[in-house]
Amino acid sequence: MGGPQGSGPTPGPPQPLPPSSPPRPPRWNASQWISLVPALVPAAVVAGVVASLLAASQFHNLGTSFWGSAWNQQTNTYGILIFVAGSFLTAVPALILSMVIGLGIAIASTTYLPARVSRLLDPFVDLLAGIPSIIYGIWAFALVAPIFGSTLAPWATMHLALIPGFKATATSPSANGYGLPISIFVLTLMSLPITTLLIRDALKAVPRDLWESGLALGATRWETVRRVSMHHGNRGLWSAAFLGFGRAFGETVAVAMVIGGATAYPANVYAQTYTMASFMFENLDGALSYPGMLQALAELALVLMAITLVVNLLGRRFVSALYTQEVAGL
Amino acid sequence: MAVASVGGLGSENLLREGGLALQWRIGFDKWIGRLLPLLYVVALLPIADMIYWIAVHALPTLTWATLTDTSVTNTHSLAVPIVGTFYIMVVATVVAVLLGLFGGIATAEFLPESVAGYARTAANLLAGTPSVVIGYFGYFAFVLYFGWGLNLIAGAVTLAFFMLPYLFRTVDLAYTSVPRAIREAAYGQGARPTQYLLRVATPIAFPQVLNGVFLAMAIGVGETAPLFLTLQQGILIPTGLFQPASFLTGQIWENYTQPQGSGGLALAFQAAFILLIVVLGLNLVVRLISGRFRKRLEGLFQ
Amino acid sequence: MNGAPVLSVKELTVRSKDRTLLDRISIDFDSASLTAVIGPSGCGKTTFVRALNRMSEITPGLRVGGRVEYLGQNIYDPKVDPVLVRRRIGMVFQRPTVFPLSVFENAAFGLRLVHASEEETDRAVTDALQRAGLWEEVKGDLDRSALSLSGGQQQRLCIARALAVQPKVLLLDEPCSALDPGATQRVETTIERLKKEIVLILVTHNVGQAARVSDRVAFLHSGRLIEVGTTADILERPREALTEQFITGRFG
Repeated sequence: MGGPQGSGPTPGPPQPLPPSSPPRPPRWNASQWISLVPALVPAAVVAGVVASLLAASQFHNLGTSFWGSAWNQQTNTYGILIFVAGSFLTAVPALILSMVIGLGIAIASTTYLPARVSRLLDPFVDLLAGIPSIIYGIWAFALVAPIFGSTLAPWATMHLALIPGFKATATSPSANGYGLPISIFVLTLMSLPITTLLIRDALKAVPRDLWESGLALGATRWETVRRVSMHHGNRGLWSAAFLGFGRAFGETVAVAMVIGGATAYPANVYAQTYTMASFMFENLDGALSYPGMLQALAELALVLMAITLVVNLLGRRFVSALYTQEVAGL
Repeated sequence: MAVASVGGLGSENLLREGGLALQWRIGFDKWIGRLLPLLYVVALLPIADMIYWIAVHALPTLTWATLTDTSVTNTHSLAVPIVGTFYIMVVATVVAVLLGLFGGIATAEFLPESVAGYARTAANLLAGTPSVVIGYFGYFAFVLYFGWGLNLIAGAVTLAFFMLPYLFRTVDLAYTSVPRAIREAAYGQGARPTQYLLRVATPIAFPQVLNGVFLAMAIGVGETAPLFLTLQQGILIPTGLFQPASFLTGQIWENYTQPQGSGGLALAFQAAFILLIVVLGLNLVVRLISGRFRKRLEGLFQ
Repeated sequence: MNGAPVLSVKELTVRSKDRTLLDRISIDFDSASLTAVIGPSGCGKTTFVRALNRMSEITPGLRVGGRVEYLGQNIYDPKVDPVLVRRRIGMVFQRPTVFPLSVFENAAFGLRLVHASEEETDRAVTDALQRAGLWEEVKGDLDRSALSLSGGQQQRLCIARALAVQPKVLLLDEPCSALDPGATQRVETTIERLKKEIVLILVTHNVGQAARVSDRVAFLHSGRLIEVGTTADILERPREALTEQFITGRFG
């Protein structure tokens, strides 16, 4: 099977040799058995997480009402649908925005900006990943949300009211700005470093002469990116999407601080609601006072964990390297 | 062999090039090249604004007493949470490093490839687990099942498990990145694995491992959920592992809803400010180490 | 076509930050022919051909002086966008650089850019594949991935891809260096046929290849054009000492 092998002639610093494994004996020896113990700790933890949640839930509520939309600890009804909806309603738009912006930045970085400029700016974009989520939260809560609530939201309810979902109701948008839009804003920023990094890597991995072949046929840079680089970097784009989504979906504290928290279906796009993670975070405290609530929360955690595992497994399938780069938070 | 010309290809006159279509293509490329870089602002402005704005709200009322006064009566002091965070980080880092270091080396050097793949996948999955789920795990496993209660040890160990996968894969990568030529030379000379590890691989991998530790610490110090759900905050400096402990992110969480202009809200900003400094400082250290490490290693790779 | 040479290089100079890579090279390419460009490593052969379709601009820091005239027009005129130049002066690279698309879409790439009609594209693709000597081998399944072709087939697909937009000049930068002898031979057969239709400029480190396929040979050394003449003249009766030393293998 023919095909381009590795990069074309590229100037620049010498590349490290690909990772190699040491010579290993054909059958297992003692040191390998012993090494299993520390090596499988992460696996054990993952298993332990699932096991402990299963145990805590005592399979209590895995019935149809669990998937309903009413959560009321006083009446022992624990329906998680609203939280699941909240998680998706925030993570999906955030992912779309983050992919679009990330794509734009990555293309600018690899294609249009001089290398010196990208080298200077890109680390700062990556820095977004290192900022603690509670800092995003307090910033969004105290600064951005009020601005949104006092300027953008009223403007939207006035001028976009004809679009379904953008009309104001009695409770939303609130003047303080909390709710879905701010949550989406925060999640976009938080998943942006991941999408940007992965797309940037995918674009950089396009061999030099493949890129030049596109230009040599009379294509503009944009056309070459679109018609050549994106095809070549397809897997990287998918991994960016999945991993970015995973990040947005599981984010807890920042969302908890700005999403408002109401256990009712969002009535419009500005509504305050809960995501699975934010609800879990805020309600463990009082769970012991209500029968069955702790178990229900544990089951909610299981659902969140299951979705996260699936998303991450799918995302990693598209990454060919051993690991993605060790950027903080990845 | 002559072929009818394709119309869109234009004439042979380069200067009076035919077609709006072509001019449009070139123009589009030019303009998008000017617009796309502007997207950097979307990423960079928030960071700058966050840092500036938190500093502005934290610094005016920040006094030395806020940082150091541990007396119980002072409700506007961050000294207890700062010390608490420090203690938690020490315990968590020690646990995470022990598990991650050995796990990473084991995966990089000893495990057969088939199992190593699973170990790495597990580490990746653990890294992708939401912090609140890890917090729940810590609560059910350590606070309830092991019976430790809501205290420093429960919080620190839970946090350690959150930090673990980052250390694990950094160590794994660090040791796997030792150039094949060097590794084969060492084994070819008859070195045993422990000798190879101690004298050859570790010095080479060390900067990366160190980086990994700092990165994991940067991640750990900023986390809220794993601690908040497993740890009770108190007003005293913890004197033992089974005591309540306050921590910076917890302080932010408790105080951020305080009214504007109140001391409580200022405290939240101040805690955020200190947290930012610590996190940015750790990231800076990581970058510095990476820089020197790259220079050092250039000699090793070809 | 008027009497002007298809491609006329006048005092072409390329400088990087600290070195002169090409020093006042002047050479004309009149009509359908194959000129081989030979010389020792680092002499500037690749820099030279890349300057002919403004690919040199992709490498930052290079400054180009002199003129390169395509049908009498200076391609380095500031009013001329490189995109215009590159379809008329095509390029094939050292390694086969097929895109991760189907065979058809590879060949049709240039036509898709100008939004040619389906019919026009079809005809152009068939024509190009035939001229590249690949048609018989792929006509059965044009939709299969280009990556499933052998190395030699891929390189001929690259040639077809460049031909599809009807360039009058085709630059080939050591196109056979990644191919085995059988594939090399097939590519050489193709370019021998093509040299009767368009101007081919072939960079090669293989003097034997130059002997086999070229009409003319240009010898470069340290960025200067030492000698250019018919293949027979250069290879058997070189005038310059440097040329003779290179051909007889004294260095290079």
